[in-house]
Amino acid sequence: MKDLKHLIYFESLLEDAHNELVRQAIDSGGLALGYTCYHMPEVLLNVDRCFSLRLRAPRTGSMDIATYYMSNYTCEFCRALLERAIEGGYNFLSALMAVDACAEMNRCAENIEVQKLVPNEKFFVTHIDIPYKVTDYTIRHYTTQVRVHVLDRLKEVYGVDVSDEALRKAVEEHNEVCRILTEIGQLRKADNPVITGYEYHILNLVSYCCPKALILPKLRETLEELRTREPDEKPRFRARVILVGSEVDDPDFTQLIEEAGALIVADRHCFGSFPGRQEILLNDEEDVLTQICRDYLVTSQCPRYMSQEKIDGRRQFAAQLAKEYKADGVIYEQIKFCDYWGFERPIASQIMHTEFGYPVLSVDRPYMSRSSGQLRTRMQAFVESLEIKKIQREREAEKA
Amino acid sequence: MSKYFGGCDVGSTYTKCVILNEKGEMVANTTIRSKINSEQSSRLALEQTIAQVPELKSVEDLDYLIGTGYGRNKVPSADENISEISCHAMGVHVTNPQVKAIIDIGGQDVKGISIDTDGTVKNFAMNDKCAAGTGRFYEAMANAFEMSLPEFSKLSLSAKNVIPITAQCTVFAESEVITLVGEGKPMDEIAAGIQLAVAKRCFVMAKKAGATDSITLTGGCAKNDGLKKAIEHVLKLKVIDLDIDPQLMGALGAAEYARQKGLAKG
Repeated sequence: MKDLKHLIYFESLLEDAHNELVRQAIDSGGLALGYTCYHMPEVLLNVDRCFSLRLRAPRTGSMDIATYYMSNYTCEFCRALLERAIEGGYNFLSALMAVDACAEMNRCAENIEVQKLVPNEKFFVTHIDIPYKVTDYTIRHYTTQVRVHVLDRLKEVYGVDVSDEALRKAVEEHNEVCRILTEIGQLRKADNPVITGYEYHILNLVSYCCPKALILPKLRETLEELRTREPDEKPRFRARVILVGSEVDDPDFTQLIEEAGALIVADRHCFGSFPGRQEILLNDEEDVLTQICRDYLVTSQCPRYMSQEKIDGRRQFAAQLAKEYKADGVIYEQIKFCDYWGFERPIASQIMHTEFGYPVLSVDRPYMSRSSGQLRTRMQAFVESLEIKKIQREREAEKA
Repeated sequence: MSKYFGGCDVGSTYTKCVILNEKGEMVANTTIRSKINSEQSSRLALEQTIAQVPELKSVEDLDYLIGTGYGRNKVPSADENISEISCHAMGVHVTNPQVKAIIDIGGQDVKGISIDTDGTVKNFAMNDKCAAGTGRFYEAMANAFEMSLPEFSKLSLSAKNVIPITAQCTVFAESEVITLVGEGKPMDEIAAGIQLAVAKRCFVMAKKAGATDSITLTGGCAKNDGLKKAIEHVLKLKVIDLDIDPQLMGALGAAEYARQKGLAKG
């Protein structure tokens, strides 16, 4: 396939959290609001002159200091973010919007706050409590948390306009990003898609890590380009997979999977598009903030929710994606020491195989995994087994 | 001229090469210590193996060549590469089709593999970056004992009791072993404890891969009788011995895949 016009530019934007577009937005008076989890409604961080940045720590090397503060047995993503904060990598932030969704990320945010790692005069860290159940009562609680700890703080500290009108405007912009990425995502259903999983991951990541208003023109252009892009005559992938699991912000990881021959056709992980890149549809009857908060709480696929209904729902969701996107198999991944996925992954990977009939590869991995030879071997062996199963199915069909 | 098919398994410690004829009979094989450069290792192993077949003059004379092992994409003139997981399964399958599961202990990893009826992989599990329970681990332990690996294996077999080693990490285990030796604990019992520690790791991989019965060992460590005994103890199964050198299984599987693909190509 012909290279995407902006791919190299997008890749360069992902080399640093403080990228070219972030600098440009700050220079024009924008407020950079860092966040780390789906449970902090991204759309609300794009209200008025604010812009959201889902934090990453690209090119992470040693995590010695963060390990000293957080111990070895904590998720490497959380430690990598803390290490980057200690290195001064988030000095440009106006605020860090933290959620009490997992204890490890909480420790990371607390360290950033207590150690005063971001030297901006008005910088603040805020925490919101996330309920474990989704009911009318908990939605009210969550909405109150967001209003008090996010919107009121932004108004109080930076004079941000958090009126309903401003929220609706932010939703409109968010929805345009979602429409573009959804349309691009739909292209992945084709037998010979015009976009790879790696390319999609890059597009999705820039939509999380750059100011929306500045990245939108390039995303629009990319969508136009993809509408007429010709696929490779002979597909270069040997199997189709969906990727399910914890945080994946490392495009090298998706590239490693695709280099082994598996095309990623759908992404159900933190930083992925399911959920995260679906439009938020507002009505005129109910309070705007409540509608937004309900949307995030209802659509979350995080394994922190432990009711049987939610657990079953997550498996059904993964199976539905696999079916819709014609996947041959499922890769369940988790970052080492992720508390929630540590439970979800081993059980779901068994059940997806035994009850839903999908071959599953289950891996736990470090935050940066490009150099892992073992991981590469596992991916390749999985692709080989999927390919063989496909050939056997075709032979059986021919015989029948 | 007859047709010949090659498999080259470039491991982290040893490079193995096998050549099969059209009937699938092994006509040549080589095992050499791996160099730092995978390409150099595979070139050398291929040269030595090809020299054993009078009809072959160079690697280009092979009808199909497949690379496997961690250096699989560095094998010169290879038609393709296949993961060592698939190759070990196929190698064992053509050696003994009754075997349904493998514990492969290589220089830097441990794998549990279950095999389907046609020699393809049914399921597998593999360790992560850590070197615990691998060939490297054994080398470090034997060094601590100032012994060769066969001497170390023999020593462990003579133990009447076992002193369990608590550390899994190669570095910590070495330090624990030195402490135990310093305390005057019987050397053979410490050695048996080390074998048990590795066997426990193998147990996890085998179970994760879904191994139930008829299991064998492959890779360089399969030649370690002390380990075999410890694995039989923890798995409560008799480990099946293969008629062909278990260290060659990856290369043999690669050669068998090469034979199947080469013949299909015509």
